[in-house]
Amino acid sequence: MPAVERLVNLTIALLETRRPLTFEELRRRTGYYPQPDPSSARRMFERDKETLRSLGIPVETRQDFGMEDPGYLIDRRAYELRGVDLDAEEVAALSLAVDMLGREEGALPLAKLAARAPDPAPLQAPPTRAEVPVGDVDVFAPAIVERRAVTFTYRTADGRTGLRTVEPYGIVRRRRAWYLVGRDRDRDATRGFRTDRMLSDVEVIGPAGAFDVPAGLDLGSVVSGPEVATVDVLLEARPDGQWALGARGATDEGPGPDGTRRMRLAGIDPVRDRAWLLGVAPDAAVVEPPAVADTVRSALERVLARHAPGAEVAR
Amino acid sequence: MTRSRPQPDVVRMLTLVPWLIERPGASLVETAATFATDVVTLRTELEHLDYCGLPGLGGGALFDVTIAGDRVTVRMADELRYPMRPSPHEALRLLLIATTAERVAGADVPALRSAVEKLHTALGIAPGAVTVLDAEPDEVVLVARAAIAAGVRVRFSYRGRSDEAAAERTVEPWAVELSEGAWYLHGHDVGAGAGRTFRLDRSAGLVATEEPSVVPVPARLESPAYQPSDEDVVVELVLDPAAQWLLDAVRADETRPAGDDGSLHVRLRTGSPEWLARLVLMAGGGAEVLLPADLRERVRCRAEDALVGLRGAAQEAPHEEVAGA
Repeated sequence: MPAVERLVNLTIALLETRRPLTFEELRRRTGYYPQPDPSSARRMFERDKETLRSLGIPVETRQDFGMEDPGYLIDRRAYELRGVDLDAEEVAALSLAVDMLGREEGALPLAKLAARAPDPAPLQAPPTRAEVPVGDVDVFAPAIVERRAVTFTYRTADGRTGLRTVEPYGIVRRRRAWYLVGRDRDRDATRGFRTDRMLSDVEVIGPAGAFDVPAGLDLGSVVSGPEVATVDVLLEARPDGQWALGARGATDEGPGPDGTRRMRLAGIDPVRDRAWLLGVAPDAAVVEPPAVADTVRSALERVLARHAPGAEVAR
Repeated sequence: MTRSRPQPDVVRMLTLVPWLIERPGASLVETAATFATDVVTLRTELEHLDYCGLPGLGGGALFDVTIAGDRVTVRMADELRYPMRPSPHEALRLLLIATTAERVAGADVPALRSAVEKLHTALGIAPGAVTVLDAEPDEVVLVARAAIAAGVRVRFSYRGRSDEAAAERTVEPWAVELSEGAWYLHGHDVGAGAGRTFRLDRSAGLVATEEPSVVPVPARLESPAYQPSDEDVVVELVLDPAAQWLLDAVRADETRPAGDDGSLHVRLRTGSPEWLARLVLMAGGGAEVLLPADLRERVRCRAEDALVGLRGAAQEAPHEEVAGA
């Protein structure tokens, strides 16, 4: 008797029963676990039961009043996926998504969703590709899906480390970074936590259904932060800088000194775009506003001080 | 020569049954493709399923699995007429796949949007539980995509990570790709006479031409993700906490604490020292190059150049600005 057949049939037997079946009843009904040594038969059954649970099959253990031994069953309502109403266009769209981003990870889950749906409608694939590390969500999946609280050690952007207890509402992907967004219980506030600043494993604590996700919450806005006022920046650009500024949409305002050109960039966020201005600084100098020029200057002076000959930190 | 034996998968078998009940006479080849497996493994699983059901006295009530040529029919399997729920892992993976695709290609495939909504409802997961930001194609991506659809060449000026200066390129566009937060264009570089991948935020002035594309799209396109090379330089950096966003832009080989103030010691490889020097400059003093010495010197020179430029610009600044400062 191959193991896969035994596991499928054990699933079916536990689905078909109306009342919990004890180990002895299962043994009689299926003919499995025939070992003469009762403890080795029992061990084999326990292994099978754990295998099914690890595959996501909800095997329940029940010991009702008056039962001498525990009984087992699978509640159809917990096992079966019902109420999927995908149409042929939607199945085609999801098949395209799985082809684009992860057949290994997505094909079987999609087959579950589409098992009773129409076959996919014909669809012309757009000339667009994308990559995303699909397995990265695994570590947070049980907590988010089952709404269980988690704890982890976290390092903030300014280097402070501490233990957090979070009700995870969901996960946000932004460029190459992942953020777990949820309610920080100790601070009683909705926060985003960069997963690469989690210093410990994420540990699930407490029961399922421990919280509700606030209706209408926009997880993206928690991570993005508030909009800030932007300014126009005037620069003097050398030839290399002219290209970089032009690529970002700057307008040319005529010649500057020493073969430079004066170029104006609109909509610069002085905080978020500071790094970009520093990156082009050798090829494009900020003329105005003076506050932005001062910020760039003092940052460059720190770079210089830190890279002075013989000043390497000993670490 | 030994061939690996097909590995039957219990979850796939439990999903195959309701899927095949709905599709009597399904093709083995198409079914294997739908389930991301091969026909040999699928056949093995179907043979096992023929012994499944409710075994018992008098042979019990087993499923009836009939294979004829490329066609399979499953009967007498009503115990499994509904599929099992996706596990939490499967549910979130599928949501990430669908949500990312909707962000990236939703404009071309409108059914993705309603499909994502229905997935959340069916899986019982709050809308937005998987949110993908900054994945929408921007203007230049849309222009490139329109050129692909029209089958015409594009022209743009491009400065790659290691290029000394920008140069004009004419490219027959094949596909656009979002990888690690950046958009790339795959295409046939007419000047180079070969396939190339361009990072679109290093391009300027991309326009569609009226010249038709002629080189066919290859079956496989290289991933734009960074590929290490033997010529790469090993670099060691110290990053203060405020500069650790820099780890988003590089692929670190090793990171470890560089003290108890939260700063990190990072080791990485790069094929383009100038690009890395600019990145260190962007950290504004929050990053320091320890090794190699010539990269450290390059950073110092760039900072000095930039300060000289700023002093010149300050003298050029309008008088009223200086007076008001």
